[in-house]
Amino acid sequence: MRTSDANLAQLMRLAQGGDAAAYRALLIACQSWLARYYRGRIAPHLIDDLVQETLMSMHAKRATFDPDRAFLPWLAAIARFRWIDQLRRSYRASETELPETLAVGAHDDEVGARIGIDRLLALLPDGQAEVLRLVKIEGLSVAEASAATGQSESLVKVNVHRALKKLASLCESE
Amino acid sequence: MNSPATIEALIADLQPVRPVRSRDGIGLLLVAAVLVSGVAAWRYGLRPDIVAGAPNPMVVLRLGTLALLGLATGLAAIASVRPAVGTLRTGWQWALAAALLFPLAALVAMAWNGATAPVALAADYGETCLRISLASAMFVGGALTVWLRQGASVRPRLTGWLTGLAAGSFGTFAYALHCPMIDIVYIGVWYSAAIAVAALAGRLIVSPLLRW
Repeated sequence: MRTSDANLAQLMRLAQGGDAAAYRALLIACQSWLARYYRGRIAPHLIDDLVQETLMSMHAKRATFDPDRAFLPWLAAIARFRWIDQLRRSYRASETELPETLAVGAHDDEVGARIGIDRLLALLPDGQAEVLRLVKIEGLSVAEASAATGQSESLVKVNVHRALKKLASLCESE
Repeated sequence: MNSPATIEALIADLQPVRPVRSRDGIGLLLVAAVLVSGVAAWRYGLRPDIVAGAPNPMVVLRLGTLALLGLATGLAAIASVRPAVGTLRTGWQWALAAALLFPLAALVAMAWNGATAPVALAADYGETCLRISLASAMFVGGALTVWLRQGASVRPRLTGWLTGLAAGSFGTFAYALHCPMIDIVYIGVWYSAAIAVAALAGRLIVSPLLRW
């Protein structure tokens, strides 16, 4: 289901007033939107948990949505914040490797492109973005990422650290 | 996908909320700034030239700079509680750059006239400056932090820095109404030290309080 930003903003305005039906519609739409948002940007088995975490954050901070502004940039900022938080939690499992078919743009419209995660990754230097994707998204070990990129293991670690730090500072960037 | 259970739980927890409004935060910040300035003026007295309505140009310059820095950083901190991709808040950086001209001018003055430094850095005045400025900053920063905690800053570190800068600026503003010194070296060193300490406290103390 693709819902316009104006509709989502209206639903959120109603939800802020306590309208449960509007809130249900909003959460279902956001759940679907977030699943697409995160697809290919995190290991598949982590997407459900991340979507739920983001919905809970959205719920806890729903008062921070400005009824006079667009909805998706607000949701995207929270989604990016939770995504970076998830990347920080180190994980390493062979099943986290992504099938090629999943690594596609989740949002091909103009607004989606501006607020998407790919736009964020594009702001990183190539060396940092490459190792971040390999280690934190595709789940390679530091040694494997080092072999794949030609960067030394210590440089891979430094670049992952720098990338996460920079992503955090760019959370609201287009 | 087990999200439907989450959705039902969130709906069950739904209560009406009042949207967070920037104007509430701005109002709180200004009230806190006016309050600490009033208390400082009442406790320590205003400079005679301010009372006479003819303040020294240096006093006008420092008060204006501190007020602008406090406002710019405070507004940026307040705006950060409502996140949104595409939001660019850089105005505070220009205010900070302008304020940094004071310590820069102090350094230049010290480099050209080293004898100025010991007099201007008089420890008794400096200690008073730090004490009053930081006590005032603590009040402003505390009030602002309580308000910010209801928000959703996606850059809590930066918001912590900004909160400390705003609190330090308004705290130092309160002291500057009384401060008898107009020496650029004194202002550049002690005022900057007070704001820097407050900013660091904001980063170390406020930032963790803003995580969610």
